[in-house]
Amino acid sequence: MPDLDAARRELEEALGAGAVLSDPLALRLYARDASMVEGSAGLVVFPGSADDVVACVRAAARHHLDVVPRGSGTGLAGASTPIGDALVVVTSKMTRILEIRTEDRLAWVEPGLFNLDLGTALRGTGFTYMPDPSSQQVSSIGGNVATNAGGPHCLAYGVTSAHVLALDVVLSDGTVARVGAEGPEAAGYDLRGVVVGSEGTVGLVSAACVRLTPEPPSIRTMLMGFATVEDCAATVSAIIAGGVVPAALEMMDQGIVRAVEAFAHAGYPTDAAAVLLVEVDGIASGVEAEAHAVEEAARTNRVGSIREAESAEERALLWKGRKSAFGAIAQIAPHYHLHDCVVPRTRLVEVLIGVYDICRREGITVTNVFHAGDGNLHPLLSFDRSDPGVLERVLRSSEEIVRLCVDAGGSLSGEHGIGLEKRDFMPLVFSDDDLAAQACVRSAFDPSGRMNPRKVLPDGARCGDFAVAASATDASGVADAAAAIPEGTWI
Amino acid sequence: MDLIEPGSKLEVVDALRSSSERGTRVSIVGGRTHLDKGNPCRVDRELAMSKLDRVIAYDPAEMLAVVEAGMRIGDLRRILGEGGQEWPVDAADGATVGGTIAIASSSPRRLRMGPLRDTVVEMELVTGDGRSVRSGARTVKSVAGYDVHRLATGSLGTLGAIVQVAVKVQPLPKARRVMRTSEGGLLAGRTVLAAVPLPSAVVATPEHVEVALEGWPEEVEEQTAAVVRAAGEVEILEDQGVGGPEAVAGTTVAEVAVAPSKLEAVLEGEADWRALMGVGIAWVGLPDAGDRLSALRARVAEAGGIAPVIRGPGGLGDAPVPALEVHRRLKAAFDPAGILAPGRFWGGL
Repeated sequence: MPDLDAARRELEEALGAGAVLSDPLALRLYARDASMVEGSAGLVVFPGSADDVVACVRAAARHHLDVVPRGSGTGLAGASTPIGDALVVVTSKMTRILEIRTEDRLAWVEPGLFNLDLGTALRGTGFTYMPDPSSQQVSSIGGNVATNAGGPHCLAYGVTSAHVLALDVVLSDGTVARVGAEGPEAAGYDLRGVVVGSEGTVGLVSAACVRLTPEPPSIRTMLMGFATVEDCAATVSAIIAGGVVPAALEMMDQGIVRAVEAFAHAGYPTDAAAVLLVEVDGIASGVEAEAHAVEEAARTNRVGSIREAESAEERALLWKGRKSAFGAIAQIAPHYHLHDCVVPRTRLVEVLIGVYDICRREGITVTNVFHAGDGNLHPLLSFDRSDPGVLERVLRSSEEIVRLCVDAGGSLSGEHGIGLEKRDFMPLVFSDDDLAAQACVRSAFDPSGRMNPRKVLPDGARCGDFAVAASATDASGVADAAAAIPEGTWI
Repeated sequence: MDLIEPGSKLEVVDALRSSSERGTRVSIVGGRTHLDKGNPCRVDRELAMSKLDRVIAYDPAEMLAVVEAGMRIGDLRRILGEGGQEWPVDAADGATVGGTIAIASSSPRRLRMGPLRDTVVEMELVTGDGRSVRSGARTVKSVAGYDVHRLATGSLGTLGAIVQVAVKVQPLPKARRVMRTSEGGLLAGRTVLAAVPLPSAVVATPEHVEVALEGWPEEVEEQTAAVVRAAGEVEILEDQGVGGPEAVAGTTVAEVAVAPSKLEAVLEGEADWRALMGVGIAWVGLPDAGDRLSALRARVAEAGGIAPVIRGPGGLGDAPVPALEVHRRLKAAFDPAGILAPGRFWGGL
């Protein structure tokens, strides 16, 4: 049985009284992340160092507590929402940059460091950290690692996994494993590749070694307005078909453009049905040629307006428009549900039209802002929770959108993760054998099953071969946790 | 030795299931070009994958190709070339896609193209006991579930048989050029790396620095000018790719992987090598797998790296494997009967 009091005393002794919270307000605050799911926390602890993280995990092991890691709490899928009396380990005090070594193109950082702060620290070195989720001002590197975060520039540069060389991972028994290496390859299976994107379910990252990328010498950013969504999407396809892979290729529909413009005043064309934000980067002459090819593709598809950023300030303004989309939609309605699905790029338009149809049927306002180059859609459902019946309609629309994307050959999530919110959809894309194999991977890291349980995999998924070896108490622990999920917490 | 050449995924499932039931040890082979990598191991049976060589789906607009794992690299190159694209992994024409992934081959162009592991987005793996497991998604991005394909990439056939993969592909560059400077050595390599924007490869050897450039024609010209400014006299190698480990002469070739700044310390005293500047891979040629290899590995261990042999005898070396218990549990889950190339992998797995 979990012993919260004993765990609190031990942690206060090890980390100091100020590092442990157990008052009702704190427990309520840390009972959810940026998803719509609310859970409940047992204890909240703020480690200040890698040793502290080990102490947290050991205390949790001794006192039979589940462990839920949390960075900035900006996760959208509920991976940091605790269930039952879990110990929430918040990394927000671990924000140091431990080392920057440009000669090795790497930096070691603590998990709580904000993504953007690393970028700022690298200014002037000629190198940068490429992954740029829209939340980068407040989301932590540890959280980015946990969700394998994306961002506009992942089209050309790859998602977080491509930018993580090594991780120090505290496993459920309190041992620390360095997965990956500072060098390009490591001995053993690519555990690093599994830890990235595992949503805190295999261990806690206490330090991350990230890959630095040379800053492109030249950048051009263009904003294009189109009279129809179809023309905009066709431009995306034409750019790719022309053998050009821009650094970023972002599409926004009229609803979101109008909201953003009223908020950010970035000069977006509010009369266009859809806009495309395109960035090409690299060597000056290549960038020139690429920008020309992009413009040609747009003209062939009846582009209405093209605006190119003439200065660094103007570029920043254009990006502000894109990256403040989620702040801007508060003007539409007080609550929103943000989706994250990936579809084959060639099916973008049909899926987008399908999304509009679903939301029209359910009477839900939907706007779209997404990574068009990746086929990564982010329909934003806006609503007011106080409207009677609206939650049911949002829930129904969401499920239909997921099914629509899966039926189009897509994936459940491109960059936000599965967490609690989508785990029951996993059987839509994976067979029982697939899920059992994934459960094996998870239990190979964490035989105790206490690391962020009930996330990612649906309830039935078990690693058969390990089920035999697991003790009876483990099995009953899982059953208890199943009963602990609060009813009606979805959305 | 028994040889099985399955003609379908189902036959792979049957072969591995029955091998597991009988305790028949199995080595999975593709084009037999990479079999030297790994520790020596004894098997009773070979499972040759090269009949599984169909294209399952390829639409250039998706920038993904889904193929069966036994497809030869040369065939894949031709098919993608017709779509104006390539899989940016440099391997021999006769190698198979699955084999190249199973050994996580490092390409000379890794500086710009990234590691092979980041190109594999979906995989179907048949485990040692004959379960078919799919992971990832047929989209360029996906974070749904645990990435079993990451574990199988570089697993040397010890977790299962890769039967199908979806790989990210990219447009062929409009222009390509490989050039060679007249001065060699790591310092010369570093000079070129610092001076040339975004090269695909800067490969230092004791005699020269080879530079691979690709992109728009005007871009390649701009880069060429930068190489000339940094290195003086250069020779342009027409119609030639940049050489990989095959260009190293030794009968034994070790693939060193260290943080890039450690290359000097590791290559001290060696005479036959090719080093990927900015990456930290060096292919080192040795006369045999004796004391010279041991000495190289001692320096590499000091630098925190690894040096598996990829040509000739010598195995993977004895670098420590982190979280060995996790590895053992993974192996037990995916190959419960322990029939897949027992002992070939790191940590005696």
